[in-house]
Amino acid sequence: MTAGRERRVTLCAKTTAVSAIPVRPGKTHPLSALDHAMARHFLRLVFYFRAAPTLTKSRLMNSLSEVLSYYPAVTGRLHREPVEDAAGGGSEWRWVVKCNDAGLRLVEARAHTTLDEWLASATDGEEMDLAHSEPMGHDTSIWSPYCVQLTEFDDGAVAIGLSSAHINADLTSAILIVRAWSDAHRRACIVFPPFLHAPALDPRPNPNPNSALFSSKSAAAAASTEPAATTKMSSATFVFSDASVKSLLSDAGDASPFDALAALFWTRIAAPELGAADLTLGIDMRKRMHAPLPYAFYGNAFHFYRVRGVDLGAGLSRVAAEIRRVGEGVREEDFWEAVEWLHERRPGRREAEPAFQVYGPELTCVEVDRDAFAYGTPFEDNDGCRPAHVTCRVDGTEGAGLVLVMPAAAEGAARQVVVTLPDDVVAKVCRDAAIAKYEPTVLFAPAGVKKG
Amino acid sequence: MPSSEAPPEFLSSVKLKYVRLGYQYLANHMATVLLVPVMVGFLLEALKQDPAELVSLWRALGISAVQILSTFFVLVLVGTAYFMSRPRPVYLVDFACFRPASNCRVPFATFLEHARLMPFFDEKSVRFQVRILERSGLGEETCLPPANHYIPPRASLEAARAEAELVIFSAVDELIAKTGVKPKDIDILVVNCSLFCPTPSLSAMVVNKYKLRSNILSFNLSGMGCSAGLISIDLARDLLQAHPNSYALVISTEIITPNYYAGNERAMLLPNCLFRMGAAALLLSNCRRDRGRAKYRLLHVVRSHKGADDRAYRCVFEEEDRDGNSGINLSKDLMAIAGEALKTNITTVGPLVLPVTEQLRFLASLVARRLMGASRPGWRPYIPDFKRAFEHFCIHAGGRAVIDELQRSLGLSAANVEASRMALHRFGNTSSSSLWYELGYIEAKGRMRRGDRVWMIGFGSGFKCNSAVWRCLRSVSTPVDGPWTDCIHRYPVDIPEVVKLL
Repeated sequence: MTAGRERRVTLCAKTTAVSAIPVRPGKTHPLSALDHAMARHFLRLVFYFRAAPTLTKSRLMNSLSEVLSYYPAVTGRLHREPVEDAAGGGSEWRWVVKCNDAGLRLVEARAHTTLDEWLASATDGEEMDLAHSEPMGHDTSIWSPYCVQLTEFDDGAVAIGLSSAHINADLTSAILIVRAWSDAHRRACIVFPPFLHAPALDPRPNPNPNSALFSSKSAAAAASTEPAATTKMSSATFVFSDASVKSLLSDAGDASPFDALAALFWTRIAAPELGAADLTLGIDMRKRMHAPLPYAFYGNAFHFYRVRGVDLGAGLSRVAAEIRRVGEGVREEDFWEAVEWLHERRPGRREAEPAFQVYGPELTCVEVDRDAFAYGTPFEDNDGCRPAHVTCRVDGTEGAGLVLVMPAAAEGAARQVVVTLPDDVVAKVCRDAAIAKYEPTVLFAPAGVKKG
Repeated sequence: MPSSEAPPEFLSSVKLKYVRLGYQYLANHMATVLLVPVMVGFLLEALKQDPAELVSLWRALGISAVQILSTFFVLVLVGTAYFMSRPRPVYLVDFACFRPASNCRVPFATFLEHARLMPFFDEKSVRFQVRILERSGLGEETCLPPANHYIPPRASLEAARAEAELVIFSAVDELIAKTGVKPKDIDILVVNCSLFCPTPSLSAMVVNKYKLRSNILSFNLSGMGCSAGLISIDLARDLLQAHPNSYALVISTEIITPNYYAGNERAMLLPNCLFRMGAAALLLSNCRRDRGRAKYRLLHVVRSHKGADDRAYRCVFEEEDRDGNSGINLSKDLMAIAGEALKTNITTVGPLVLPVTEQLRFLASLVARRLMGASRPGWRPYIPDFKRAFEHFCIHAGGRAVIDELQRSLGLSAANVEASRMALHRFGNTSSSSLWYELGYIEAKGRMRRGDRVWMIGFGSGFKCNSAVWRCLRSVSTPVDGPWTDCIHRYPVDIPEVVKLL
């Protein structure tokens, strides 16, 4: 990856950031079935900010302490809580966040380059140097599920890296934590305070557990007794400007930017085999429920569904239309059925099945941050201080890979697509002519891949 | 709990209570009680006489004008000599304490997690620190300096200076704002910080920051332990006797950045668990015009040093352990030695402050013991009731054990030691400045009234026990702007015997 080049990011110190207000003792935050299912994944976010007078390490740590007062579940520790078993077995357990006020790990680092140089030249592996994360280990009582890294660049720019266990929060929650932090830093009112209500995703009184997608994933995980030859995965980021997306939409017909980009990347990843194919898609269900959850609902609330038997050779517009049709057909009922299916089989129960990958191993495409919170997090009172770039990555996505579609820095329809795919597929996609037609800016590609 | 047998029925009856109160009043105001009837009788006799008879009586005495004048002159001379030789009053104009920022706080869970993550602590040391913290009486809001929050702690000279600047300057800034004193008017500066002693000294740092005068009398006391705050006050008081119309700035603090113990010796791990960031700044004055605005007047300072005894000398000892890590070794008989030092101290303080009845009782008990023989079973020495001499007690919040021991040996009630316990809970053991956080608590609760007497007791390495007695000159009304401003409404809290952490 970075062979022959020195590491440009050095870790200086490790500390723990605590909340300003102590947590009431004895508080716990139970995790839902959907949270339990995400045990194999980790989130890595990086927010890049240009130099500004108030963006100093000490002031950022102060505002982080203040915002952590609102998130007792972030400063807690994972704990296996024994569950009362109806049959009196006593061997069941579930994950619970014990809000013991321990704080979250904070790492201070320095990058020996300027921000512009970094954005132009950093590879995908180097980028993850900015979001330090620590493996869980065997003792979760001293392991912080969240880790924040503050990296200072030579020109005074700051990168805020947030790594988190996916079991605690999904991408929307993680982005809104940083959003709340920016509000606290500007001493403004926190617009999306966290909604900590775990029972929101408890099964319904008349559960109807049924999930074809998760059943097949679980069966596949159980069937593969020998560890899959782990193909080396790399990542790249494609930033499409407003004009590019508009031209793509004109090619793709009547579709949303997500549908069009998902179709584009699906066809180009699968090329040259353009037959019937399936795709797994993921969307945020917070606002697609009859009783919608607040944006800042803390926890996992993504729904995964499959698009089957789409003929990839039929053209971009047909594929996009198919994706759109299936997407619109997703019912809240499907989501609840999946949650109830997961509830019956969650780890810790006697009927538990081995943990399976939710993002993969088949190709998965997820729409992240539909409401553009990530780029709307200014740490200072003028618009010039919005993030220069935001990266979202998910670890643990072995297999065919993951495509994340999210809004980009520019206003309007601009989008950025972060792909995590096997090495050779990334190289292929970066050089693909059909994608290059829309003139994306390629950032954080693996070393050796010619950009543009 | 002070142990005493339940008094018999008749002793607790109301009438006998009044008899006891009457006796106490009689004994404490003996001089008045004797003189007043005599004067009244004399006056009545004089009034019964004819004025002309009084005049002739006066003439009969044959006192000439010269004799009257010289008597008057002698009286004036004696009076002036008396007033000139009396010590100058020392007033505490005001004091200010450092208010730690809430992002420096150390919750128990974080402290333990760090102890587990530090590469140099073994399993037994971690368990020991857990046990200490559970029984320490500290709360979740005590603060450590930023350098000690790192894994491992990044103690450097620069970090220690940064902590010193942070705590001292914010306390002094607050004091200047409260009292309105100009830095150029400060004549005497005394800074005490036991464990951190850079060159130039911390007092030079204060002189530099506030641009104090070049002829200031500055002193820096280091190495004198947790009771050094009262030693500084004693020094300032003596200097104020020598220099009329002066202001003295006294700063008490403890810098804990350089003193994190990174080894596994159990007796040396205690300071890691208990010591926290804090500082206090006081303004003392001997100007008569400050009497109107001063809060307290210093009545007595009594210092007792038990260093002549080897056991007391080695009781709190800074040394290196087997692996070369330096730390402060607290010996097991710390409490016993503290008790002895306290006994020495109160033997001197007692006659200065106790009412006459208490002193008589103590004398009686002493005589009885001498006559009957000390070996008589069940006859414990009489401890004078200091609650009759003081309204408020500020006991050095060295740890829960210290406060418990003093409460027991002085026979104090829970309300008397509440200030010490709550200061320990909220701020931890801030060493020499803890007495001022406790005084701040009493003021913030609105309990300080004019005429109240305060007894401050400090213990420190050496082994020293120092006391100071203050009298309140004006009632302090709430709300008080101080370190307790944002949390006083939550206090007092009930501190459990053992906080279950794991």
